[in-house]
Amino acid sequence: MMAMSEKFSLEFNLKAGENNFMSKNNKAFVGWIKSAPGITISGSIILAVFATIYSGPYILVNVIITGGMLALVATGLTLILGVLNIAMFAHGEYFMIGSLTAYYVFTPISNYVNENPDSILAITGPLIAIALSMISGAIAGVISEKIVFGPLRRRSTDNWVMNSFLLTVGLSVLLINLHQLIFGADFKGIVRYWGGMPTEIAGVFISRDRIMAFIISAFIVLVFWLFMTYTRTGRAIRAVSQDVTGAQIVGINIENIVLLTIALSCALSGVAGGSLLFMYPSYPTMGLEPLYMAWFVVILSGLGNILGAVVGAFMVALLKVMTVEYVGAGWDFVVPSILIMMVLIFKPSGIFGSEVRGVLDK
Amino acid sequence: MRAKDEHSAGEYQNAPDVDTPLHNGDTLLQDDINPFDMMLQKTGFTPVGLVGVILLLALPFIPPFNQEYLLRWLIYAAFIAAMSVGFDFTSGYINIVNFGYAAVMGYGGYTTSILAINLGLTPWIGILLGGVNAAVLGLAIGMTSLRLRGIFAACLSWFFGLALMGLATKMVWLTRGPLGLRVPRLFETESNLPFYYTIVILLLATYLICTSVVRSNMGLAFKAIGQNMDAARTSGINPVFYRVFNFTLSCALAGVLGGFYAHFYGILTPDIMQTSKTVEVLAVAYIGGRGSLWGGAVIAFPFIFIMEIVRSTLSNLPGLNLIIYALLLILVMIYYPGGFSYFFDEHLRKPKNRVLRYLMNGRQVN
Repeated sequence: MMAMSEKFSLEFNLKAGENNFMSKNNKAFVGWIKSAPGITISGSIILAVFATIYSGPYILVNVIITGGMLALVATGLTLILGVLNIAMFAHGEYFMIGSLTAYYVFTPISNYVNENPDSILAITGPLIAIALSMISGAIAGVISEKIVFGPLRRRSTDNWVMNSFLLTVGLSVLLINLHQLIFGADFKGIVRYWGGMPTEIAGVFISRDRIMAFIISAFIVLVFWLFMTYTRTGRAIRAVSQDVTGAQIVGINIENIVLLTIALSCALSGVAGGSLLFMYPSYPTMGLEPLYMAWFVVILSGLGNILGAVVGAFMVALLKVMTVEYVGAGWDFVVPSILIMMVLIFKPSGIFGSEVRGVLDK
Repeated sequence: MRAKDEHSAGEYQNAPDVDTPLHNGDTLLQDDINPFDMMLQKTGFTPVGLVGVILLLALPFIPPFNQEYLLRWLIYAAFIAAMSVGFDFTSGYINIVNFGYAAVMGYGGYTTSILAINLGLTPWIGILLGGVNAAVLGLAIGMTSLRLRGIFAACLSWFFGLALMGLATKMVWLTRGPLGLRVPRLFETESNLPFYYTIVILLLATYLICTSVVRSNMGLAFKAIGQNMDAARTSGINPVFYRVFNFTLSCALAGVLGGFYAHFYGILTPDIMQTSKTVEVLAVAYIGGRGSLWGGAVIAFPFIFIMEIVRSTLSNLPGLNLIIYALLLILVMIYYPGGFSYFFDEHLRKPKNRVLRYLMNGRQVN
């Protein structure tokens, strides 16, 4: 009860803030700055600017690239939480599947390109690998829905959140060890996708691969957002996440939406793994770090909130990069997890609140 | 004796589902049963359970198990069994999965190891202090997770675990980081036998503590909170006390077990705080049966043995044992959520034969 009433009052405050926004722009801005999202967003921007001035712009570059990757993984996680109400613990494993696919697709391509440097594959090869990593993530998601989540959903939805969470724990162990059994535990990485000379931006040299990785993630997040906002199917997904019975009444096929959602969210994770293969080589437990980070993002921004997840991803990336820079490598689990615990304790609904309510758990 | 005579076979067919010992603790007519059965009732054992305990005590002398490496497996299995009892005490009753359970265990282990190494404290006191320290941590987790429910509380304890593991890795001046601490062993012998009896006693103690709490009114309150917190509040249960108490007790048990772990293996690295360790305990507890306490303890022994046999015989296929246990966890979660204890209650607990019935259930008084 305590938690519930607290949550309602917080949401009420947020609503009040929005009303202000309607009436007077200036007043609304001050109100927004005073609200929790305002404080955190402006705080992180100020922090980022100071760190950039203090240590150099490479901090900003790192934040943007890490944040772009995190945004992909975290939007997938938050989508699956919002729509299917599955607290995914295996999300990092789809990241791993994506990177594995990209490795096995790209290695022959790069051998071929080494022999024929002028071939068109030098430019399109990485794109093919990344696209295939996305598709393999989606296929893995559909398979796990068909084999694991579907049977449980048909069997019983009592205590669904907890049971499905434990299922994903089992799934995660299964996928990690299948990788180890079939492909071995060694690092499967590549040196570069596109290669070439690093580009200089504002005194920092950034490799072309990093720029491309960021462009890909920004493009996909944008397309995904447009899809969720403007297309009929995207609206159907949001409708299911708000009220499953109501969605059924207006003629939405729940089965299809569930499949589509899980495919989309795993594809997002897979493409993140694929496009970052040059930074993170593929090995069995590689999915854990993106998983932890994505969970930090989701808790920070509130469950089922897609735009919030994108903003939160950059905040967590900033937190991580700052920790590595000023506290030391290896502390990047300790400091963020303590801060996220603070968020959980003092604002359990997340900084941006969550407007999207989960289904299947009553 | 009177009570026993009243049980005719026909009556049994129509009788309402005979209570498990969990529920009839208050309704016993205590004059009617002999002291032995009363003792069993009070401690939450059935005769078959007692046979199991005796078997456990005799096991190191029965031929295949009297080899040292099998004894090490037995010790590990008993350790996981005790952990799963403590884990089930939280997840099966107040329905919050403590995802940082392995980290709490490691925290207790580090406490006693650091005390033993830096201050030369004897491990026996150190283990208890580790339990106390872990209890304080459990108190903190319980207090901070009060506002959260279900998955959020699990996340909070998980992040607690991650932060603890990160600290243990990075506080090199205290814990020597990933190199690991060399911890003095509990007994100065090569033999594993004393360790085995220690962990069996710890397992029994864990089980007895948990059952005695669960069978009191407090257990009812735990169940009420776990099933529907709002309804529990409406009936006047204050969840604050019960949740914090539950976390504190289960973390204290984990801390003591972690101390044993450190002083048995003689080396302590941050690896034991990893989430995968919690998942192992979780798998055992869930395959054993949620909310039964004894299910995980029973299933841990065959489970760990199968895992170890698969791992040692098929060592050219690394990870196969983990695949098996993940598959088992998934299958149990989907198709048989009650786990082993449900299977036992449904199919083995109600034989027609009176002697067998007594063995399975103890003396029953309606």
